Amino acid sequence: MNKAHRKLILPGVIVFFITALVFLAPILPLADVREMSIPSRFAGPSASHWLGQDEFGRDVLARLIWGGRASLFIAVGSALAAAVIGTALGLLGGFFRGVVEVLTVRASEVILCLPLLLLALLVVAILGAGTWPLIIALTILYTPNYARVVYSATLQVRSLDYVTAQTAMGAHPMQILARTVLPNIMPPLLVQMSLVIASALVIESGLSFLGLGVVPPTPSWGLMIRAARGAMEQQPLLLIWPSLALAGTIFTFNLLCDRLQSVLDPRGITGGGAFWLRKNQRKTVENERVAEPSTDALLLVEDLSIVLGREGRDTELVRGVSFKVMPGETRAIVGESGSGKTLSGLALNGLLPDVLSINGGRALFSTREGAQVDLTRLDEDAFRSLRGREVSMVFQDAAAALNPVLRIGEQVGEAIRAHKEIDDAALDERIISLLRQVGLPDPERRVRSYPHELSGGQRQRAMIAVAVANEPRLLIADEPTTALDPTIQAQILDLFKTLMADTSGMGLIFVTHDLAVVSEIADRVTVMYAGEVVEEGPVADVFERPRHPYTAALIASVPEGDADRLIAIPGTVPTPKDLPPGCRFAPRCAHAIDACTTHSPEAEHPSLDRRTRCIRWKDVT
Amino acid sequence: MTDAPLVITENLGRNFPTRQGLMGRARDVWAVRDVTLSVSKGETLGVVGESGCGKSTLGRMMMGLDIPTTGKITFDGRNLAHMPGPERRRLARRMQMVFQDPFGSLDPRRSVGAQVADGLRIHGIVPDQNIKEEVRRLIEQVGLSADAAMRRPHEFSGGQRQRIAVARALATRPEFIVADEPVSALDVSIQAQVVNLLMDLREELDLAMLFISHDLHVVRHLCNRIVVMYLGRIVEEGPVAKVFGTPAHPYTRALLESTPSLHPRNEALGDRVLPGELPSPVNPPSGCPFRTRCPIAEPECAQAVPPLTGPTDTWRAACIKAGPLKHSWNQ
Repeated sequence: MNKAHRKLILPGVIVFFITALVFLAPILPLADVREMSIPSRFAGPSASHWLGQDEFGRDVLARLIWGGRASLFIAVGSALAAAVIGTALGLLGGFFRGVVEVLTVRASEVILCLPLLLLALLVVAILGAGTWPLIIALTILYTPNYARVVYSATLQVRSLDYVTAQTAMGAHPMQILARTVLPNIMPPLLVQMSLVIASALVIESGLSFLGLGVVPPTPSWGLMIRAARGAMEQQPLLLIWPSLALAGTIFTFNLLCDRLQSVLDPRGITGGGAFWLRKNQRKTVENERVAEPSTDALLLVEDLSIVLGREGRDTELVRGVSFKVMPGETRAIVGESGSGKTLSGLALNGLLPDVLSINGGRALFSTREGAQVDLTRLDEDAFRSLRGREVSMVFQDAAAALNPVLRIGEQVGEAIRAHKEIDDAALDERIISLLRQVGLPDPERRVRSYPHELSGGQRQRAMIAVAVANEPRLLIADEPTTALDPTIQAQILDLFKTLMADTSGMGLIFVTHDLAVVSEIADRVTVMYAGEVVEEGPVADVFERPRHPYTAALIASVPEGDADRLIAIPGTVPTPKDLPPGCRFAPRCAHAIDACTTHSPEAEHPSLDRRTRCIRWKDVT
Repeated sequence: MTDAPLVITENLGRNFPTRQGLMGRARDVWAVRDVTLSVSKGETLGVVGESGCGKSTLGRMMMGLDIPTTGKITFDGRNLAHMPGPERRRLARRMQMVFQDPFGSLDPRRSVGAQVADGLRIHGIVPDQNIKEEVRRLIEQVGLSADAAMRRPHEFSGGQRQRIAVARALATRPEFIVADEPVSALDVSIQAQVVNLLMDLREELDLAMLFISHDLHVVRHLCNRIVVMYLGRIVEEGPVAKVFGTPAHPYTRALLESTPSLHPRNEALGDRVLPGELPSPVNPPSGCPFRTRCPIAEPECAQAVPPLTGPTDTWRAACIKAGPLKHSWNQ
């Protein structure tokens, strides 16, 4: 039983208790719900009548339980019936579209046009008051709600690949609906169910209150509320009991459906939090001027470590990463997913997700004024003044990184205004010249475009314009060309090269998984594997003669040579939770010896400006 | 290679008419136009092109998942386009698909074994009591351990999921597989595993395969023949060695030159960059669709869509100035 299942216990037990109580009502030692005792009208709670007696001296507890039997039967019964019919209509309409959609979803929506209560009144007026007419009325009432919710969820799911895969497999459409679509639309269905049960309980009470539902003397919560209302001033408790029962039951059903939904999701959802509730993990140290012998490097990262989780139970995602970026240099960080390359980039701009924190090392950055700041020790405010002006970032998915409701010009302008006082005319001029600089065609017109009006390559250009708006000294680009087509990728790579050539002294950190892109754009490369740097050096040298078996294998697995078979690295990248002892690549390495698995290899220098973390580099490369 | 092709498309076209505004007139948007090609047993046909060139729509149509507006597809002599549902579902046994996104193509709520077993059950490939055994065999065939069958997809990495997707496709013992960007979402080292797997399976099972990709390196490595598409049309088609060695169409050349390479090239990147972007399919250029970006375009190119004719019978290009040109990729 995992955490999610444990969450089911509380609402599950309460629902079980309520259900057991109303089911067992006939055999429980309860007083007769119709037995009147006029002398003890409005009597308060006593040993024989725990919740007191009502206006006819009947036992309130017994009436509450029997009343719950009626109310819950009507509410749950109609909610389930409507769920079955509505889900069927929604599934068919959403999956087949066209005529079927008109006949199912659209047809049921006609009901939505009529006022809820009026419709219920109509049905009850035609069929007469009583339990069954009420269930029918509520079922008709709620069917279109389900149909709509299921319809829109189905529309989303039907276009997913795994549904297409079932079609391609030759599965019958009905089979696909039942086996693949239905389980995947469960979450919204459950939410809807909890809402409907709650609302049906209220409407049942309302209709019974109006005298159109359950017929007295059969008790129901609605009838009890109605009767108690008349006697509110004599005995307010009579009103409180059924109201409490009603509210408590609704709350419990909502809770159960909510928890059920998270249990049914096999992926599990991790919680987030409002940013003002997060604890500020970064040590709030003043912009500490580091009194070290200053290097001429723009950025010097030493032993950077990033951990996940709280103190004591840390999972180390990035360990001991060191590299430097000289002014005007392009540094590529290359690695597979899970290698920690993106995290290292984010950490340098203070953008790590809240669950992660830097727990070691330092990153000395020389600012424009010649001061050195340690990027690992800055707080949020200090970073804000640095971002954009000194360190700037370009992301992979420009469509997600640009604000869809702001024009391109406004977004670039926002970035400039964040750091500079500038009048409108000068700002407009600056925006257009920036857009021209990043090669956006027809910049005078494009400033007024929204992101969705641009193509993928143009959006990427616009985002680069935002990033370089304040002439940062260090640009961090995280997979900026991965989502682009080859000819557009070449254009963007060319743009980066031009930017580097035109802006003297700017450093570029280019994070990518594509070795070929590295060889096109970078001066020096850092190869990462499972959170560690395994090799570092000038791009041409590293690719010519890799000094680490991982780099060598990575290069061999690119299908560029004439080899008949690609060299595939067996296995997968280890997860941070279960890293192998010693060298992290050893289990997948063809050259591993016993010594590799005993302790972690130190960085060695095959030549003056190269580093490798392999004890056997002399023998195997 | 065998005699008669298994799958043949003739003048295949798919139109997605769109309406601008509430009262606007519907305009034709051709995703695929006049595509004629064939795939034989044991052959892998690579389809390359940039996003929006219609390669995925082509793949879906060849699987019978989308209905062509014009032209026809014949699978083993039978026309797919006008086939009634039950017959089409029976034929599905012989053709399968592997999708790009290994995280989206598996149902997150069902166990891997159940999903692989679907095809076996639907088409009654093996008797019910043997299903478990057959699922184990399939899962082991793609290089996973048999206990994987009990687990849910989210417990696997991208490469492992793609293997599961391949196992699922192989369950019905298909003759034809459409692989739509099957390795694009994978890491380089994992990509090599899946490419090797596909090559082995092709040999073992004599599969006909349509391999859709934008990664020219992978296509060159894996495919026998190549189709290059631009704005819904085939611009060049032929054997890998010819098309990538001495490309005849200027777009193929541009595509090859803009693809980054591990080996440094002589020309600067700037000289190799193709200007502009893919024109909108709503309003395609007259004549040759590529002429707006073509470095060697002439006024004549705007006159008519150039016919797909070629240097040889098996190697064709749709360009009035086509001519094999030695390319720097040729090693």
